[in-house]
Amino acid sequence: MSDVSAVRENQKNLEIQQRLDKKAAQKKMFTNLVPYFGLVFTVVFFTAVTGGRFLSADNMGNLINQGFVLSLIAIGSAFVYAHGGMDFSVGSVSGVAQLVCGIMVVAGVPLPLCLLTTVLVCVLGSFCTAGITLLLGVPVFVGSMCVRTSFAGILKTYTQTKEIAVVYQDYAFMNNAAIKAVILVAVILVAYYLFNYTVIGKYNKAIGGNARTSQQAGVSRKKMVFIAYTLMGICVGIASIFAFFRSGKVSAYSGNGYEFNVMMAIVLGGFPMAGGDRAKISSAIIGALTVTGLTNGLGMWGLDPTLISGVKGVLFVIIVALSYDRSAGKLVS
Amino acid sequence: MDDRLLLSAKGVNKSFGPTRALIDVDVEIRRGEIRGLIGENGSGKSTFSSIIAGAQKEDSGTFLLNGQPYHPKSMVDAQHQGVSMIIQEMGTIGGITVASNIFAGRLEEFRKLGLLNWKQINSEADKILEEIGAPEIKSTMLIDQLNFEDRKIVEIARALSTKPELLIIDETTTALATKGRRLIYNVIRKLHEQDKAVLFISHDLDELMEVCNTITVLRDGVIIDTLDKEHMSIELMRKLMVGRDLVGSYYRPDFDGSNSGEVVLEAKQISLRPFFRNVDLKLHKGEILGLGGLSDCGMHEIGKVLYGIESPVTGKVTLADGTEIHDSVQAVRHHMAYVSKDRDKESVILSASIQSNIVLPSLRTMKKKFTGFISRRSEDALADEQIKVMSIKCRNGKQLVKELSGGNKQKVVFSKWLGTDSDIFILDCPTRGIDVGVKADMYKLMMELKNRGKSIIMISEELVELIGMSDRIMLFKDGVFTKELMRSETLSEKDVIDYII
Repeated sequence: MSDVSAVRENQKNLEIQQRLDKKAAQKKMFTNLVPYFGLVFTVVFFTAVTGGRFLSADNMGNLINQGFVLSLIAIGSAFVYAHGGMDFSVGSVSGVAQLVCGIMVVAGVPLPLCLLTTVLVCVLGSFCTAGITLLLGVPVFVGSMCVRTSFAGILKTYTQTKEIAVVYQDYAFMNNAAIKAVILVAVILVAYYLFNYTVIGKYNKAIGGNARTSQQAGVSRKKMVFIAYTLMGICVGIASIFAFFRSGKVSAYSGNGYEFNVMMAIVLGGFPMAGGDRAKISSAIIGALTVTGLTNGLGMWGLDPTLISGVKGVLFVIIVALSYDRSAGKLVS
Repeated sequence: MDDRLLLSAKGVNKSFGPTRALIDVDVEIRRGEIRGLIGENGSGKSTFSSIIAGAQKEDSGTFLLNGQPYHPKSMVDAQHQGVSMIIQEMGTIGGITVASNIFAGRLEEFRKLGLLNWKQINSEADKILEEIGAPEIKSTMLIDQLNFEDRKIVEIARALSTKPELLIIDETTTALATKGRRLIYNVIRKLHEQDKAVLFISHDLDELMEVCNTITVLRDGVIIDTLDKEHMSIELMRKLMVGRDLVGSYYRPDFDGSNSGEVVLEAKQISLRPFFRNVDLKLHKGEILGLGGLSDCGMHEIGKVLYGIESPVTGKVTLADGTEIHDSVQAVRHHMAYVSKDRDKESVILSASIQSNIVLPSLRTMKKKFTGFISRRSEDALADEQIKVMSIKCRNGKQLVKELSGGNKQKVVFSKWLGTDSDIFILDCPTRGIDVGVKADMYKLMMELKNRGKSIIMISEELVELIGMSDRIMLFKDGVFTKELMRSETLSEKDVIDYII
C-alpha cells in the first residue's frame, strides 16, 4: 500500500470513528432527555384537552400539593430503588401515620410532638420491611407485602368505627405554600448531597449494580439497606404530615395508591428499576411530577377515577416494556 | 472460481455503539482447512465467528458459502445451511435428557403420526456420542447428572449432529481437561478427513500450532496477517497479536523463594463442607503463595474463607495482630483484597463506569470526617491515576465497564485494590480468560507488589503459571492438602501433577 492511500485509509477510519462517537453521544443524550419530553408532553396534552383548565390557578394549587407529596416520597424511595429494592407498603404506612397524626392532633398533643411521631411511625414501617427482608432472607416484595397488609389492616379497623377530622382553618399554616417550598427544597438538597457525595448513595448504587461485587469491596449490604429504608421512612413521614393537613381527615383510603405512583414515577423518570450507577435523584423528581400531572389530568379530562388506575396501569406496562434493560439475559453478547 | 472455497467473507464491518469491532475483514476458508483465529480480547474474533454462525448481523459485507450468498437469519438457519458453532460459555439446557439437548429445536424431525419417536431419537444420540468418542455418556441420562466437562461434550455432539460443513469452535477447550480436549481434536481431524472445514478460536497458542493448518491474526478489528503451517511460531503470533515485541520470559526470572518469616495471615484447621477440610496455611510478608489443584479441589473456596466471604465450619483465619476475619467488610478494613474467579459476576459492576468501580473500596477512606463528603475531584484523581498506571484501554473513566475487553476489565479489578493500598491480595485465577499482553502486565504487577512487601495468595488451575510465579506452592486434592513445594529452577509440571490427580 502506498503512503498516500494509507493516509487516505486512516482519514476514512477516523471519520467513521467520529461519526460513530457522535451517534452514540446523541443516543445517550436522547435517552436522558426522554423523561423531560414526557413531562412536557403531559402538561401540553392535558392543557390542550381541558381547554387550559389544567393550568388554571385553581388546579395549580392541586397540582402543587399532589406533586409535593409524591415528590417527597419518590425522593426517599430513590435510595431504596437505587440498591435494587422496592416497596409496596408506603401507601398503608403513610395511611397509619396520618391516622396517628390525626388522633394526636385531635387529642390536643403539642404539634411538634405529633409531627415527630408521624415521621417515626413511617420509619418504623420501613424498618419492618427492611427487617423482615434482611433477617428472614426473603425477597423484598414479600417483606413489604406483609407490612402493607398489616398496616392497611390497622388503618381499616380504626377508620371503620371512628371519624378523625380537624378544622382546616385551624391549621392553615400547615398548608402554606412557602413552607412547603422551603421543605421540598431542603429535602432535595439533602437527598442530592447524600445520594451523590456520600457513601450512602454510592454504596446503595453499587449494591444495585452488583451486590456481590460491592460486598467483596467491603460494603455492608445490611447496613446500607437499613439506612436507605430509614431515609425513605423519613421522607414518607414528612409527606404524610402534609397529606393529612391538606385533607384534614383520615379515611380508609388515606395514602392509597402511593406505592404504585412511586413505582410509576421511578419508571417514567428514567430511573433504572434494578438500581445501579445510572440512578439519579432528578429522575425520581421528574417522574413524580409526570405521574402527578397524569393522575390529575386524566381526572380533569373527565375520566372515571376507577378508570384512571386502569389507564395508568397500561401506560406503566408500555413504558416498562420500552425501557427495561433485558440485555442480561442474552446468550451471545 | 476456486471450487475448494467453502466460505468467503468480504469487507465485513460491525460496530457496537461507538466501538468498531470489525473493520473491512476479508476471510476465505477452503475445504479441508483447519483455520485458527487468534487475537487479544476485544480484537473481534468472537464477533466475527458469531456473525458467521448467525448469532448476530453484520453492518456491511458480503458472505458466500459454497459460492452462494450466505446471510443466516439465526443460528438455526445457519445450521440448516451447514454452519454450526460451539460457544465458549453457553452450556446446555438443564432438567432434560442428553438426547433432548442434542436435538434441541430439531425434535420435529423425529415426529411420526404426531408422536415423537423417542427410540430413534435416543439411538441417534447414542450413535453420535459414540462416534465422537464419548460412549460413556448415554442419551437417556439427565443433563444435570453430568459434570461440567461432559456437558461441554454434549454440546459438541449437538453441533456435530447438524452435520456441519463448517464447524466453529469458540474457546471451548479452555473449559475442557485432557479428555475433552483429546475428543475435540479427534472431531477436528475427522472433519478434516471428510473434507469439511473448522474455524478454531483459542487463547492457547501451542494448541493452535498443533491443530491448525492456517492461522489468522486479528487486532482491534483488523486482519493483521494469515500464517500458513511453515510460518507459524509462538513468538510471531504473540507479536502480531499484541502489536509489539514481548521480550524475555513471561514469568519471573529469579528462583529465590525465601521469605522474611513474618506471618501476615494464618488459617488454622479451617474446613468448609463439602469443599475442603482441616487446612493449615501461613502467608508471609512479601510472599507469593500459590494454591494449586483441579478446579473442584476446594482451593477456590479456601480463598473465599480466607477473605471472609464464606464462614468456615471449623477453624479460624487470623491476621498478624490476632484479628479474626469473619466477613469481607472487615477484611477490606484490614487492607485485604480479593479478586474473584468469576470476574463479570463478582469482581466488577458491569453497568457502572470504570471510575465507580475503581473508587468503590476507597470511598470509606476518601470521605471527610463528620460531613462524610466525598469530592468529585478526589474521585476523578484516583480513577485517572489508576487508569494511567494500569494503562487501561478506554475513552475515559466515565466509560462503562461492560464495554471493555476481558483483560481491561481485569485491570479495573486490580486498580480498585491498588487504589485502596491493600497489603494482602487473594487472587483467584487472576489471569483467567485474559490475553498474553495483559497477562504479562499482571505478572509484572505481582512482582512489583511482592517487592513492595505486599503478600499474595494466587489460586490457579494453570500449573505453569503457579510454577512460574510462586515462592511456595500448596497443592490440594479432593479438599485435602497434599504437598508443599518450594520455588526452584528444576520444578516442573511433572513434579506437581501426581499430587493433584
